[in-house]
Amino acid sequence: MNCEVCQLKELEVEHFEIREVLRCILHTIVFHRALGLVRPKDVDLELFEITYVQCGDVELEKKIDEKIDHFISWVEKHPNKKSQICLSFYEVKSKQPSWFTNKTERLYWEQWYINLNVTQHPKHHSSKSHHTKLVVDPGESATEERSSRRAMVEASLREVLFQIIKFVNEKKDHVPPISEGVIYFPYEITIPSSSDSAFGMDMIKRMLHSGHPTMLS
Amino acid sequence: MTSTHTNSHTEAAKMEQVITEFFYKSLLIILESRSSYVSSRNYSGEQIVSSPSSSSSSSSSVRPRDKWFNLALRECPSALENLDLCRQSNFEPVVVDVILEQKPLDWGPASFSPTSDIVRNLSSKNKNSYFWNSDQDESGSEMKCEKIIERWFVHHESRKGRDFNSGNRRSSCNNLSALYKKLILMLRSLYVTVRLLPAYNIFRDLNSSGLIRSFKLVPRVSSFVEPLTRKEEVDMQRFWFTPVDTSCGRLCLSVLYYSSISDMSSESSTPMSPQFIPDYVGSPLADPLRRFPSLPVSHGSPSSLPFSRRHSWSYDHYKASPPLVSFSPSPTHSESNALVSNPSSRGLPPMSLPPHPPEAPLAHKRDTNFDEYCPSPSFSASPSPSPSPSVPIYIPRTHLSKALLRSESAPVNIAAPKLANSPALSGRQNLPPSPPLKITRAGTSRTDNIRVPAETDATIEKIFSFGKEDCWKYSGVKAFSNSSPRISCSRSSSRSLQDDFDYSEFPCPFDVEDGEMMDPGSRPESYVRRGNPSDPNEAGLFMNRKSPDAAVGALVRMLEKAPPLRQNVSLNFSEASRPEILSNSVPKQSQISEAVTVEHAAAPNIASFRLVASKTTTDALEELRGYKVMKNLLLSEGGKAYTSSNVASAAEHSSTSKEVYSKFLDKNHAAIEGL
Repeated sequence: MNCEVCQLKELEVEHFEIREVLRCILHTIVFHRALGLVRPKDVDLELFEITYVQCGDVELEKKIDEKIDHFISWVEKHPNKKSQICLSFYEVKSKQPSWFTNKTERLYWEQWYINLNVTQHPKHHSSKSHHTKLVVDPGESATEERSSRRAMVEASLREVLFQIIKFVNEKKDHVPPISEGVIYFPYEITIPSSSDSAFGMDMIKRMLHSGHPTMLS
Repeated sequence: MTSTHTNSHTEAAKMEQVITEFFYKSLLIILESRSSYVSSRNYSGEQIVSSPSSSSSSSSSVRPRDKWFNLALRECPSALENLDLCRQSNFEPVVVDVILEQKPLDWGPASFSPTSDIVRNLSSKNKNSYFWNSDQDESGSEMKCEKIIERWFVHHESRKGRDFNSGNRRSSCNNLSALYKKLILMLRSLYVTVRLLPAYNIFRDLNSSGLIRSFKLVPRVSSFVEPLTRKEEVDMQRFWFTPVDTSCGRLCLSVLYYSSISDMSSESSTPMSPQFIPDYVGSPLADPLRRFPSLPVSHGSPSSLPFSRRHSWSYDHYKASPPLVSFSPSPTHSESNALVSNPSSRGLPPMSLPPHPPEAPLAHKRDTNFDEYCPSPSFSASPSPSPSPSVPIYIPRTHLSKALLRSESAPVNIAAPKLANSPALSGRQNLPPSPPLKITRAGTSRTDNIRVPAETDATIEKIFSFGKEDCWKYSGVKAFSNSSPRISCSRSSSRSLQDDFDYSEFPCPFDVEDGEMMDPGSRPESYVRRGNPSDPNEAGLFMNRKSPDAAVGALVRMLEKAPPLRQNVSLNFSEASRPEILSNSVPKQSQISEAVTVEHAAAPNIASFRLVASKTTTDALEELRGYKVMKNLLLSEGGKAYTSSNVASAAEHSSTSKEVYSKFLDKNHAAIEGL
């Protein structure tokens, strides 16, 4: 089974928007992969005029929030950096145990790459007022700039959500069959770790677990 | 053979059932997110969390129909009604039109026509002015407007020539399970998509705000619909869900939608664009110290406000003395606009709170004069005042003018609707009758302390621009940003009500031009010229032609009734008149007896007095000096030769005059000292 990879459009967000944006994207993807019996839960974003859907599973919500917290911590240590969060769905396959591999292996059949560019809050023009003679009211310009920027982020987020919907609609064959009593497929959220090299190590670990040559692509 | 046929029949039946349930489920997902008050959105708050560990318990609460496609949703009556449509064996297309229906509103003024605003707005934005199903007249209140903002297509394309009965059972099962999985994925994406489209914002606002709007979303399910025009299809965007192959065809799902409806939903809830009414008059009976509370900007709920809010005060205008007229500032009106308007809609005020109360037929006059600022007199029928923000209230010009005439004071509560705890203002609803503020009426002097908050010149001028009858005159009024000066306004005597204010001493925020506020008959010039025949005391001052005795008597009466100078810096005997008095007195003494001469001299002297409105203490002091001079003159000439025949009368007159004059001086001595 091939692993379908979806690279989502990069979003330029500010620090305070990370949580809502990631929640929206991650829950939307997981909802599409929660093929068990669910009672969908509508959640309105506070920062944007977008309503996304959750599975309604408390444990899932907790795990996602934990990962988002880790990611935010990483962002605070690595400001102004492009980052990528990987949401992977896998199947657990038993494997013959060897001395450097586990008994079970994860067979990743789908990976979603969420690309974020976390930017700092732009400074106001007032900070440079001493260089300019023209006195500009920082309040109004900052508000307008903020609102326009917010609209842009919202539009980008909508695009990402529609990208997810289109991907889900176009590629259905690779999705494993539904198991009885399973709400959602096993998943894994990978965030950048403290060092860049560790991210590559995570990829190598994934390859070892899956043992699939196509994981290198 | 038989078993194969049976199995095939069973598979076909299952397939048919799956397709039918897909129709129903997709219909349910669309309708429950477009029908008001029937939504799994509300249901989700009380949902049971489904988890692998609690699957058994959750399944017990799951209805059989919820298990289809593993998506538990709340039942939707409109979807159930159309279930038969879904169960058609030939799987005819199901079309769901989501219609934005605009209810007709009966707005009074033609200028305030939210329906037409929405129609214009939609027309300008979507360029589908012809798409509305009803004709709109200027008032826009005759027919409801409908606009299809979404059109969903659910249909099964049959594929002829394919024998779905063929194949083994295992492949059929695999096909069925694969089909079922794919349909689950399609429905998941459908569920997410309906919440991302613009129409969902309208649905969410309608359900969450709880307001009774003049528009609503009406989903309409049918098999056959009129095709949209080419222009409409061009303006609308289409989203295709990837069709899912079935054994006999494929299931297709698509939607046509407007991408700009979100703009309309954010505007259409407001009844009108915020307008600045600079001369908004608030409630005079409301707590003068209470500020109108700020309104919630988004999704305000004016429907929950009591209907009396629109009547921020109530007074019986049939009573003799209307209450204080409080002029509320324009921010109150903006708040009231925000109250009745919902940020998610434009031009559509909530039904429960129309901007113009029906019992105020005189309300909402759009005159450019102060009418707009006047409280409606018909609010007397309203409940107790609750000065929360509401629509501006209007009263006609006549009522306000009368109110101002009869009110003791007219606090202008514009910038900061807080009035001091003035005894003249607090807790009063009906002030005792007070004499009109006219010069011509001699009356009790009264000091009213008025705290006038800041106000703009334009507003004040407008408020008082009506005044042909009212005699309040204010001058030197400028915008006071912070101060609320306490003004002692003396509305007293006949002499000069306009003179009551010493403008240099009491900065008054009112600035009314001379002659603008005053009754034409009460202007100093006209007053001097023609006096006021209604007032005998004042009339006597100008009777040059009366007898000397009558003149003295008039003077005596005038002095007796003259108000204290402390409260009435009224009399202003100009300096020019004093020399005239003195000069006039001399030539007349030789003609008649001394007493008569004195009296006669007094008459022209008095007659020559000009009741010129003096506004300075200097003038008052000059007056006093004049009185003193007169006194000395009287005393000196009274003690001179009297004719024998006139001794008694002269003595009587002179003594009377002296007594009266002394009393007057004594009475005002303290006031003069104070000045």
